[in-house]
Amino acid sequence: MILRTVLMGALLASSSAIAQEAVTPEPPIEVNAARAELGKRLFYDTRLSGDTSLSCASCHQPELAFTDGEALSSAYSGNGHFRNAPTLANVGFRDAWLHDGRLGTNLNDVAREMITETYLMNMDMRIMQERLKQDPVYVEMFAAAGMSEPSNGGARNALMDFMKTIQSSNAPIDTGDLSSAAERGQVIFEGKGGCVACHSGVRFTDDQPYNTGVPTNPDIWSDPERHSTFVTYAKFMGVPNYMNLREDIGAYIRTHEEDTRRTFLTPTLRELTYTAPYMHNGVFETLEEVVDFYDAGGGSDPLKDPRLEPLDLVPSEKADLIAFLEALSGDSFDTDAYVWSADDYGYTLIEDWRNVNN
Amino acid sequence: MALRTLITAVAASSLAVGAWAQSNDRPEMLEALGPPPIPADNPMTDAKVELGKKLFFDPILSGNYGMPCSACHLPDAGWAVQDKISFGYPGTTHWRNSQTIVNSAYYSKLFWAGASGSLEHQARSAARGGVAGNGEDDMMEARLAFVPEYREAFKEVFGDDWPLVRHAYMAVAAFQRTIVQTDTPFDEYMRGDDDALTEQQKDGLDLFVGKANCVACHTGPLLSNEAYYNIGVPPYDGWETDELAQITFRFELLAKGVTEDMYRTTKDDPGLYFRTKQKSDKGKFRVPSLRYTAYTYPYMHNGMLETLRDVVEFYNAGGGENEFSENKSDLIQPLGLEDGEVDALVAFLESLSGEELLIEEPEIPFMEPLPVAQN
Repeated sequence: MILRTVLMGALLASSSAIAQEAVTPEPPIEVNAARAELGKRLFYDTRLSGDTSLSCASCHQPELAFTDGEALSSAYSGNGHFRNAPTLANVGFRDAWLHDGRLGTNLNDVAREMITETYLMNMDMRIMQERLKQDPVYVEMFAAAGMSEPSNGGARNALMDFMKTIQSSNAPIDTGDLSSAAERGQVIFEGKGGCVACHSGVRFTDDQPYNTGVPTNPDIWSDPERHSTFVTYAKFMGVPNYMNLREDIGAYIRTHEEDTRRTFLTPTLRELTYTAPYMHNGVFETLEEVVDFYDAGGGSDPLKDPRLEPLDLVPSEKADLIAFLEALSGDSFDTDAYVWSADDYGYTLIEDWRNVNN
Repeated sequence: MALRTLITAVAASSLAVGAWAQSNDRPEMLEALGPPPIPADNPMTDAKVELGKKLFFDPILSGNYGMPCSACHLPDAGWAVQDKISFGYPGTTHWRNSQTIVNSAYYSKLFWAGASGSLEHQARSAARGGVAGNGEDDMMEARLAFVPEYREAFKEVFGDDWPLVRHAYMAVAAFQRTIVQTDTPFDEYMRGDDDALTEQQKDGLDLFVGKANCVACHTGPLLSNEAYYNIGVPPYDGWETDELAQITFRFELLAKGVTEDMYRTTKDDPGLYFRTKQKSDKGKFRVPSLRYTAYTYPYMHNGMLETLRDVVEFYNAGGGENEFSENKSDLIQPLGLEDGEVDALVAFLESLSGEELLIEEPEIPFMEPLPVAQN
């Protein structure tokens, strides 16, 4: 009787531990919890954009694993983006960011780039800082996070910490709960398909740029708001002949070496079921299209990576491969852990303004 | 016959009254306004002015493609904003009064504290400022290339293969040099038309150059010596009531560069100090022209005075007080003007504005897809 009670207790404790501690691909990155919580509120705040029209979450929506469901992402008022919004799942584990890898330092720099870039959030961060100081919730949260007052550097650190918490959980690949189709797909992924050559490691990416011959997205060049945004980007990055380009030059933007034209960072394959459409420019709507693309040996490009060859997959193999790809997606991020749901954004008048310090 | 005699008599008597009331000598320190100076590096052409006119009204020269120059320089609001403080970029408010475009061509420096040395430079600063246009040059330049009409016009006017944004600012400046007014009643009077001013206005002119000594600073054809003074204009009251104004005020302190101590404690616009970083320049602003002021209310760098009468009464009381009153000009002293004298001075100030300058606003062209091999 006593023994049975002990066993019951152990079972209860163990099952509750399972419920609380999700299975993640890697141990979580340690962050300052108060700073990450602050970053979560900032992530959903439209006052981080110049005209207060966009927050980080406008293009990185939690229910879509922090993508926006569009082939080509939205951009700041008067602009259109020329790339697909990448997932932020496991973003803290990356070695480089953005499809062309032009940011290779840390997520603080990524936050700064997104907030200040003219076609993204177009924010003068000095105004952003003063906006934050006008919101008493931020004044409290910065203090709780060990910062004396709201500042733009502190805000970027907080966003960095929040992004580091965005980690996949309970994907079948991690829980070991693979279907037999997925198990067969894994064999293809690592063998006949050769996918693992680039989609390696626990995030299924090597963070390196390759040319796979993904077709260009004609919607970039037919829409002057997108095309002019691309021109702004290419001009700023010093690309020659930017007015006559009608292709996204990828990592060439930072290398200026011919053989890197149209190379893009290997994307993670985690959370794919949430993040359609696919590729750096969203030209493929489904995983079926993606698998067909690689089965055909990729696209047509003189600089295409020579390892891409037709795979000769039969329909059942494609189905198995897709089953495996789908097993790389875990729990939704649309939960309290990742969403700031309080409707508490606002400014408060500073009373007795003449007599208090700025 | 009798009628004709009567008319002659009336005419003669009115002449006699005029001669009796005023000597009609013209004060030496004031002049009629001639044509504006044109910088040698930005000569005027019709095509350039036409291009600049379009760009002035085109939101393409802003960050969100939504804030043309005309957003805060509205032709039917005195080519300014008839409110204390100018509109800001969406999500912000501005922090100073919008100045009229009319006769801006004559200033050697632009903005209330003279931060820009030319209209060309001013246009760029306004298009890019965080609480104004919030645009970025690469972006605005890229957009211009997508407007077929601009590709053609920039090629014709500037010889550009692709429109250069600095040329856009030059065109806007050229357009602004056409928004001038040189035929006010005051100008006609100074050119010799004794009847261009009323008797009351002539009395006001006497006070302007005499007892009230306005001419000490409001001198020359522009009625400004373009120098900087602290006259004790009180601080903008919106800073105590408007959250956005509090944000912008701190932003300006931060952006324009002050010491940590000043950032924490300053509660008023330091004005010229931002440029010189001299304590003695705190609270100083450039003497504005008094032309076209019938349409550009409210007045002062922060719009704290609502009517021209308020302005005259402000000076009659010896100016006001602000945070930097230790720098207040000694020229500002109680004037001891009687009510009738105040009336006369206001009447004279009204003679510095002519008809309202309105134009037909141009049609704004749009961006279009850019065919390959345009160039």
